[in-house]
Amino acid sequence: MATTSVDQLLEPFLTDSETSPIGAEYVVAPPTLEDAATVLRIASEHGLRTLLAGSGTHQGFGHRLAPDLVLSTKLLNRVVTYEPEDLTVVVESGMTLAELDALLAERRQTAALPEQSGSATVGGVVAAGVSGWQRLGYGPIRDRMLEAKLVTGDGRIVTGGGRVVKNVSGYDIPRLVTGSLGSLGLVGAVCLKLWPQPAYAGSIAVADAGEARQRAYRPRAIIETNRGTTVYVTGTAAYVEGQVRDLHGTVTPGLQWPDPLGATYEFSLRVPAALTPHAVDKVRDLGRGVQFQAAHGVGEVRLAANDLDLRGLVGLRSWAESVSGAVVTVRAPDAAYDVFDPWGTAPPTLELQRRVKRAFDPAGVVNPGRLPGGL
Amino acid sequence: MDTATLPAMTLVGDLEALLGEARVKSKPLELRLYDKDAGVERGSASAVVFPKTSQEVAAIVKLCRSHDAKIVARGAGTGLSGGAVPTHGDSVIVSLMKMNEIHEVDAEGPTAWVGPGVINLDLSDHTQHLGLHYAPDPSSQSVCTIGGNVGTNAGGPHCLAEGTTVAHILGLEFVAADGEILTVGGAAPDPIGLDLRGVLVGSEGTLGIVTRILVKLTPNAPDSRTLLMAFPDVLGAAKTVSDTIAAGLIPAAMEMMDRPMVVAVENFVHAGYPTDAAAVLLVEVAGHASAVAAECEIIANIATEAGASSVRTAHDPIERARLWLGRKSAFGAVAQAAPDYYLHDTVVPRTRLVEVMEKLYEISDRHDIQMLNVFHAGDGNLHPLMAFDAKEPGVMERVMAAGDEIVRLSIEVGGALSGEHGIGLEKKKFMGEVFDEYSLDAQARLREAFDPDGALNPDKVLPQGSRCFDFDFPAAV
Repeated sequence: MATTSVDQLLEPFLTDSETSPIGAEYVVAPPTLEDAATVLRIASEHGLRTLLAGSGTHQGFGHRLAPDLVLSTKLLNRVVTYEPEDLTVVVESGMTLAELDALLAERRQTAALPEQSGSATVGGVVAAGVSGWQRLGYGPIRDRMLEAKLVTGDGRIVTGGGRVVKNVSGYDIPRLVTGSLGSLGLVGAVCLKLWPQPAYAGSIAVADAGEARQRAYRPRAIIETNRGTTVYVTGTAAYVEGQVRDLHGTVTPGLQWPDPLGATYEFSLRVPAALTPHAVDKVRDLGRGVQFQAAHGVGEVRLAANDLDLRGLVGLRSWAESVSGAVVTVRAPDAAYDVFDPWGTAPPTLELQRRVKRAFDPAGVVNPGRLPGGL
Repeated sequence: MDTATLPAMTLVGDLEALLGEARVKSKPLELRLYDKDAGVERGSASAVVFPKTSQEVAAIVKLCRSHDAKIVARGAGTGLSGGAVPTHGDSVIVSLMKMNEIHEVDAEGPTAWVGPGVINLDLSDHTQHLGLHYAPDPSSQSVCTIGGNVGTNAGGPHCLAEGTTVAHILGLEFVAADGEILTVGGAAPDPIGLDLRGVLVGSEGTLGIVTRILVKLTPNAPDSRTLLMAFPDVLGAAKTVSDTIAAGLIPAAMEMMDRPMVVAVENFVHAGYPTDAAAVLLVEVAGHASAVAAECEIIANIATEAGASSVRTAHDPIERARLWLGRKSAFGAVAQAAPDYYLHDTVVPRTRLVEVMEKLYEISDRHDIQMLNVFHAGDGNLHPLMAFDAKEPGVMERVMAAGDEIVRLSIEVGGALSGEHGIGLEKKKFMGEVFDEYSLDAQARLREAFDPDGALNPDKVLPQGSRCFDFDFPAAV
């Protein structure tokens, strides 16, 4: 009886199940935020465990979930407003980064979102809290999202923040949903801060990452990989030329990012920024099959391998946690999640976090259990 | 001991037993100093306490809770929106001024753990020899505390390039409403789980009492120059701001002053500002030596193109300090011009600046109030300042009416209620004009998750009745 009624209720929003690799009973793609709210209300009323899905780029984060319902954002891909003069854009969360970049490129602007994730969605990047290569220069994504429309787990559309660059008006819901992995609801639309594309950009290959960090003045990024270290600078011609001189490196015009790590396993090692060189040493100790990309000045090292002894990561994780950091699974075969917790030790504020989740998702139906501590 | 019949008296006794009599004030005259902030509203409290440790704050919170007293955290009291005003007579004010220790500076980080009572400027002075500073610089930075800055997500001129307080807070230790000591965030990026730091920053003491703060420190710029540009109209100054940012330059600061403010400042400190200009723009360009001169030249050209009548560049520290003196003396200058002033804080989209300024003058003329403007033009953060004499009959009503119109104007053009001062008591009546009922309800639910009984700084931020929907669904197991 209840099943029939859920079928009928969800019928208008059903889509083909290609987007669901998981075999959920229902796959829906609501075309508007109001429809998404209706869907989540139904999910709350009927206790349907709901997986929120963009294009799947960041689904490797967090505990696995066997959902009853998959809510796809593929039809929520509109530009709500674009104000090039104010350097802000409001888009729905299902828009891909490639689509957003194309829009902003017309006005020679950028949101500085992750550079090589064209198929990823804006909502996915926000929900996973991924800041991209240029975090050192533009700050973390949490500082670049001015307004968020959240469709809460119980199906209410909530707006937090505002469309101006400076704002203290009540509690900061945009920063709360950043990195929340859909545990509070669906990030439906966001207002992002924009920048003009820089006039000049250069990628400077340098010999030593530590020295580069001392010498470089406010670079966009300092990335060390198995192949070497590159400092990325953008700005006026005078500044870029000055940096090339100071760093004694070889410059290539433009921002030449390293190829994405495509391996079976990928992890994010997070430590205080000053410890990045130590983190790189520790990752090198894992063995030669491990590829890495370290963001100096930020404190994140992405490491990847096709074949990995997870026991080696346990030691890395205990070191990271001892310096208030973490080792987080970015991508791995499903079986690995049972062997190696995707987050590590849950934070001490778990009880408070649980109450916060309940405030937005009282029935506990959106992405349940994906955050640390089964939140 | 009968706590039920004499709760207030017993509470003071209990607090004295905990902290000693010297760190508990409860005489009416002593309390008078703590029943308001730098804004206009006044409240009343039963005691002010001065803890020195997180454990003492936790014990105070537990004592207050057991006596059913409200708890109001307080820094230096420089807030302008009533955020630290005790609204219940039985409130205990927790002054964090004695928790003013800089616990640990990590020059490599670069980060520092500080107590909430550390004065904003003291931290930058303390790290100066390392070539580091704490970037948020509200006008009150020589007296306001970093804990208070966290409470209101304070800003300042240099937040244009560096971001407001929230961008500089990596971790927080706080005492929760039940007296538990919790820590969120840390020096590593992207803490796992829900990131509660951003919610605590700007929460005006309603979600917890912050007891230790991990701040990001910023390397001092190797070179900087200051430009002072005069314009025959506000339009030219506003265009210079927009065109500079559109050119991809983000100066360290872009501050605008209108003629009434320039005249007041000149009469006060003689900083050498051109008093015949309709608007003066003070721009600081900081950065690498190779870039600063080139960027100044670009900005000077933009200003000339936008009709600037003069452009002055200060290279040396003395000349730069003189140009900044005018800006920094603005509020003192106003105090010379009139005995009282009311300072507003709203944000408008940069592209609406000119139109908004025109309407501001129209509003002040209509209410017959003297208005002066000095503001963070780069991020559209207005600070219209109304100068008056409160002894003049009816003037306060006119000031308040004009203030309401100013706030509504900002809302109309798609701006924000506050850029850096907070909502407090002053602006909560406007929250319903910015956020719909679901959005206010969500904020109220969030507050309830932190403080289910409403013990922490009640009546602030959210208007009464924000929590207007029941949970329709049973809580998850």
